[in-house]
Amino acid sequence: MIKIENLVKRYGELLALDHLNLEVEEGEIFGLLGPNGSGKTTAISCLLALLKYDKGTVEVFGKTMAPDNYEAKKQIGVVLQNVAVFDEMSVRENIDYFCGLYVNEKEKRKSLVEEAIRFVGLEDYTKMRPKQLSGGLLRRLNIACGIAHQPKLIIMDEPTVAVDPQSRNKILEGIMELNQKGATIIYTSHYMEEVEQICSRIAILDHGRCIAQGTKEELKSMIKTGEKITIEGVLLEAENLAAIGELPHVFDTAYENQELTVRCSGAKHNLVRILNYLQDQDVAFGRVFSELPTLNDVFLEITGKELRD
Amino acid sequence: MLHLIKYRFICTLRDRTSMFWAMAFPLILATLFFFAFSNIGKNKLDTIPVALVQSTESEAGDAFGEFLKEMAEDDSKIIKVEELSEKKALDRLKTRKVYGIYYAQETPALTVASEGIEESVLQSLLDSYNRNADMMRSVAQEKPEGIGAAAEAIADYRNLVKETSINGKEVNGVLQYFLALIAMACLYGCFLGFTTSIELQANQSDLAIRRSITPTHRLKLVFVDLIVTFAVHFVNLMILLAYLKYVLKLDLGENMGGTVLVCAVGGLIGVAMGIFIGSCGNRKEGVKIGIMLAVSMVCSFLAGLMMAQMKNVVEQYCPILNRINPAALISDALYCMSIYDNPARYARDLITLIAMAAAFTVGAFLMMRRERYDSI
Repeated sequence: MIKIENLVKRYGELLALDHLNLEVEEGEIFGLLGPNGSGKTTAISCLLALLKYDKGTVEVFGKTMAPDNYEAKKQIGVVLQNVAVFDEMSVRENIDYFCGLYVNEKEKRKSLVEEAIRFVGLEDYTKMRPKQLSGGLLRRLNIACGIAHQPKLIIMDEPTVAVDPQSRNKILEGIMELNQKGATIIYTSHYMEEVEQICSRIAILDHGRCIAQGTKEELKSMIKTGEKITIEGVLLEAENLAAIGELPHVFDTAYENQELTVRCSGAKHNLVRILNYLQDQDVAFGRVFSELPTLNDVFLEITGKELRD
Repeated sequence: MLHLIKYRFICTLRDRTSMFWAMAFPLILATLFFFAFSNIGKNKLDTIPVALVQSTESEAGDAFGEFLKEMAEDDSKIIKVEELSEKKALDRLKTRKVYGIYYAQETPALTVASEGIEESVLQSLLDSYNRNADMMRSVAQEKPEGIGAAAEAIADYRNLVKETSINGKEVNGVLQYFLALIAMACLYGCFLGFTTSIELQANQSDLAIRRSITPTHRLKLVFVDLIVTFAVHFVNLMILLAYLKYVLKLDLGENMGGTVLVCAVGGLIGVAMGIFIGSCGNRKEGVKIGIMLAVSMVCSFLAGLMMAQMKNVVEQYCPILNRINPAALISDALYCMSIYDNPARYARDLITLIAMAAAFTVGAFLMMRRERYDSI
């Protein structure tokens, strides 16, 4: 459905996109994950033919994307990072206006607007102006304006930024529902939990480059970390820490503020082996956590820095 | 298309800030002007009571007494003369029943009790008499045969200078302020145009990004926005004209068609200027609004909004400014309609304004038709 090849975009000296390659298949929720400034929004802007780029090609629905590719534009819905609605119009008027930029037929538009209002749960707020809405409701209006015309491809650029948990869950459920109804979704975010929760495939961006791409399982299998064990309230000597580092499948240890973090490659009984060692050495310890690797671990191992940096 | 027009109208009319500047502010300013200028030219000086003391028997004193009596009988009724003894005259002066005492003597003199407009008028009369008396004495000494002609010339002097206009209409300095105000209102369409431009340029607002990525043809969006914004501003200007003509009862001339045409072209310049400034560069919105406000206010100032004589000062020292300043051109064209009755000058102003409107509109259109940006 979307094919981006060798996309290069410069802002003066700054290389915003560095030979970016992406492919999105029909029916998937494709996540673009990366820290702020990694090039996610720039990539989306190039994809939508808003930005000039220096090199590369962008194809949508099998055709080169250009400002006058109106056939492709008809089938695309966009939910922008910042809320983009008219303050002078009510909730219903805003949705009707933006839907009208895609759908000319009045009757059809009317039913689409009603459906969009229901979908985002704004039935009780249709006559209100955007300034009267809370942040979460405003985000829902933003989404309704982008998807009211029921597009085949929906691009969502960080739609949950500054949203309360309740509205966030509602938004994420809505995205999955849209996908189940047949829409292909590109979802950009720097919240790895969200991306992990809803995306079928993920591309991780850093400094304008795609550093990894695949399903979340594929991404996690790319790194050494198979299990991360954290033990709180533990008093260790240097020789204890060294001994733990020597245990089978352990490849990294960190000890700070009486908290031990051990990274192990994927194998069984890692936790049992570490706890047995501590008991044998008569070392007291507090709470113990064992976690599977996250996308943050993937990012950390590939780039050497936290995703949230 | 109707869908776009309908919602553009809704947005423009509900945009309180832009509508305040484009519609409400000129109406408020017109009302303030009206009250501020309502007394100008209406305060007629009352007849000034003055005492005449014929202090000595002298030819010169008699002549001055005659002059004063003639002045009192004149149609202008500047003074009312009462011949009194010096004691009575001083009593009257003390009790403010007269503003001064003229002494008809060899060298005429004036005594006043305080300073004021009336006292100044009395002093001016005396000065004027003394000047003419000196002149008559000189003529009598140097060219006695011309004394009669000189006396006639003095008598006719007041008839020689009279304020008038070519077409017989009354020249009205106050009206110039209101015409400059109409010019300012035309230019204030820039606020509406500016909002339009911000909502159309993807590098200016998120709203514009959202509109740019829809399948609606960009030129259609630009066209609708421009037409609706201009239509709203034109109605604003018509409201202002109606308010000036029917509520404040200003004489805007008989050719209202010509006046409306000037307002239409002026309004288009205002709207297009706002779009142009809004589309230029990547400066912050506040900076652009500041630039816009400064441009429109400076143009209006030079057109005489704060000082009616300003346009004449510009005409004297830098006339080219009056030829390129849209506010000056608008007020001048309106003045041609209401006072000068000068079709050639009106046509020249109008052609210049149309050329300016065309240039601004084409410029604004070229700026807005961009579809891809270097940065957003």
